[in-house]
Amino acid sequence: MLAFQKVRSFLFYLSLILFFGGLPFILFFALGYKFDPATFKLVRTGLIYVKTQPGGASIYLNNKLIPDKSPASIQELIPGVYKLKLELAQHYPWNGEVSVDAGKVSRLDKVILFTLTPDLEQLNQEKFSSFYLDAESGLIYYLNRKNDIVYRSNLEGSNFEDIASLPEDFSDIKEWGVSPDKTKLFIFSPRQIAVILFEGADNYGYSDSPVFLDYQRERIIQVYWHSDSYHLVVITNKHIGVIESRTGAVAVSLVDLNEENTASYYDNKHDILYFSDSQKSADGTIYNNLYRLKLNTDLYLLERLMKIKPSELLPSGGDTVRKEVPGE
Amino acid sequence: MNKEKVLKRAFEIIPGGLSWGIILSLIFLSVVYPIASAILIITFDFYWIIRTVYLTTLLIMAHHRLSREKNKDWLESCFNLPKEKDWSRLYQLVIFPVYNEGPEVTRPSLAALKATHYPKEKIIVVMAFENRNKHARENALILEKEFSSEFGAYLSTFHPDGLPGESRTKGANSSWAAKAAKEYIDGRKIAYENVLISCFDADTCVEPEYFGCLSYHFLTSDKPHQASYQPMPVYNNNIWQAPSFARLVEISGSFCQLIESMRLEKFVTFSSHSMSFKTLVEIDYWPVDMISDDSVIYWKGYLHYNGDYRVVPLYITVSMDVAYSNNIWRTTVVQYKQKRRWAWGVENFAFVATGFLKNRDIPLTKKLRRLFHLLDSHVTWAVWAVILVLIGPLPILFGGAFFSSMSIAYNLPKITGLLFNFTLLTSITWIFLSWAILPPRPKGISWFKNIILVLEWAFVPFLIIVLGSIPALDAQTRLMFARYMEFNPTLKGNKVL
Repeated sequence: MLAFQKVRSFLFYLSLILFFGGLPFILFFALGYKFDPATFKLVRTGLIYVKTQPGGASIYLNNKLIPDKSPASIQELIPGVYKLKLELAQHYPWNGEVSVDAGKVSRLDKVILFTLTPDLEQLNQEKFSSFYLDAESGLIYYLNRKNDIVYRSNLEGSNFEDIASLPEDFSDIKEWGVSPDKTKLFIFSPRQIAVILFEGADNYGYSDSPVFLDYQRERIIQVYWHSDSYHLVVITNKHIGVIESRTGAVAVSLVDLNEENTASYYDNKHDILYFSDSQKSADGTIYNNLYRLKLNTDLYLLERLMKIKPSELLPSGGDTVRKEVPGE
Repeated sequence: MNKEKVLKRAFEIIPGGLSWGIILSLIFLSVVYPIASAILIITFDFYWIIRTVYLTTLLIMAHHRLSREKNKDWLESCFNLPKEKDWSRLYQLVIFPVYNEGPEVTRPSLAALKATHYPKEKIIVVMAFENRNKHARENALILEKEFSSEFGAYLSTFHPDGLPGESRTKGANSSWAAKAAKEYIDGRKIAYENVLISCFDADTCVEPEYFGCLSYHFLTSDKPHQASYQPMPVYNNNIWQAPSFARLVEISGSFCQLIESMRLEKFVTFSSHSMSFKTLVEIDYWPVDMISDDSVIYWKGYLHYNGDYRVVPLYITVSMDVAYSNNIWRTTVVQYKQKRRWAWGVENFAFVATGFLKNRDIPLTKKLRRLFHLLDSHVTWAVWAVILVLIGPLPILFGGAFFSSMSIAYNLPKITGLLFNFTLLTSITWIFLSWAILPPRPKGISWFKNIILVLEWAFVPFLIIVLGSIPALDAQTRLMFARYMEFNPTLKGNKVL
């Protein structure tokens, strides 16, 4: 037993030496310290962490190839600026300068190395003026201005079907949009909107197709579908309004605009319109304000308003909403 | 509350307070100062790997010694001792405290006793039943019929319930049985110094050479009455039938005991053990109000002999049952309760500390060293797995952008991962040794079980938390808040109950 106890004592003291001898090295390493033999001093270093997409790229640090390939960490770097080059066969190289700070990690983990031969695929060979992609439904809609036909395909660019014809006399199409229920689209020019029902779609409420909505005294800037796929939110050079997509519908002007070319974004999920407009304050300063117009909960109100005569709604040029100006 | 009780309460709070203090401080640091937390975690990880390698080396040494000595003809060695060390004068008094274990559990234990090579006329068996068990007398009769004629003497005792000053503990039953045996010994005019007493769990099966080994070590030890004799507990009775994780936990328990046997200055009695009957009487038997009677008996001896008391390891196994039940959930509960009961040994700290305050003869340095060892073992038991598995990742999770930009944030998982891989290497040693300690595969058990025995080590991260740290923290927390536990015998699975 004595011999065992002697061995054990030896092991115990060896463990103590290993622990107290090794711990400073491990902690210094963890904190980024390095012994500099030239100065006989401890220097606090930093490291660069490189991760590329795809991985396996060769790493050149200050034009010198290091043995590791990405993802990799280059440790024990004296603080400073380093030139870094990442190379992968058949990919564009990445070049850049990386600053290394003492005790810190410089992370380059969002590097994408793009292939020299892009993953390009021709889906079809068609003649169209513009297209609209509905990723959710997996459909691509095409507008062919030459023969005024709307057709669609799947995301592979095949399985074509004609779904609508554009009105022949409709010129100067600025933009177009497919309704959220995918049964119709609108096209608009500066003075007119046309709503065209897709072939085979349920035409409930649409005795006419196309439906023409005229804006003779205003210039249409932008049109959005409301999420009910029936109302259109129309921005003109004078107003923001809503109009039903039926023949003879009368627009409801909700907001007067001061600026002619207002920028806008329509949140189709929540039926909220964000738009900008300028406004002049009492001291003459012009502010560019951002506004939010909620159209979701007010739909019932809109329907009620539609039943009122336009003359009642717009008694003097449609000044329905007055936006308050800061400082006024 | 008098001063002694206040001190005892304070000592009961210290281990749990320290364990929770370490855990909560590290969590707090991980949130508010992750760099400090990371430094402490790396330090602890490094300490742990050194400790694991050190302990694994001790395990190899102990295992080697066990392999060398377990099949030795110890009685032959006793015969070869000088005349003044006459082993034939020694009586073996064996107490089996029984609570709810039926004859199906105790019968193999008595059969193993019967199969020992020691002269049976020198063996006195005491089956110590609890009177509160309604089947006690019926079970006693069954066993008496089968075994009473096999030994020098065979006594059945029935410990009354609710004696003043007693708790429902195994120690109370064992002490009652030892006192009954004393009457028998007095009646036969046998000298106490010629009686060696072994207190075995009801399911303990001894090796044929156990009493030869015990007698040899008793006769050859310096101050043999100032020592307890600790065999190596293994759980081989039903190990091939037990569920994987229960088996793994028990194997780890055996290994811990083997390791402890190499650290004599810390070695304390555990579970089944033996000692001089003279000493047992002198130190007033096992405690009757503490659950951890198996270790407290050592401390009673230590205090009685002013620190000149030790545990002599016996490199011979005593085999017990793996605790398990008929489904995984119930087995986990059974195992959890058993480990919590073991961890309740933390009550020793208050017992020893208050004992040291009263004792003026043990040197202060010795007292402090023993108290530190006790505290270290219980606190480490409660916190190490929590730190390694649960707190380790916290600085990264809570460190935020600033910490993430630091070298140490990058190096922390790298270093801990490396250290863990190193620990895996030591696990391979443990797997190999666990194989070597197993009894032969019984007929009807598929060879495929050998593969499972290796694969089951994948449970280790789960086990060290669920059946390692948590039961220990549970026990320490209960003790902190004076929610004292009662002895709750483990459901043993020799026959699945």
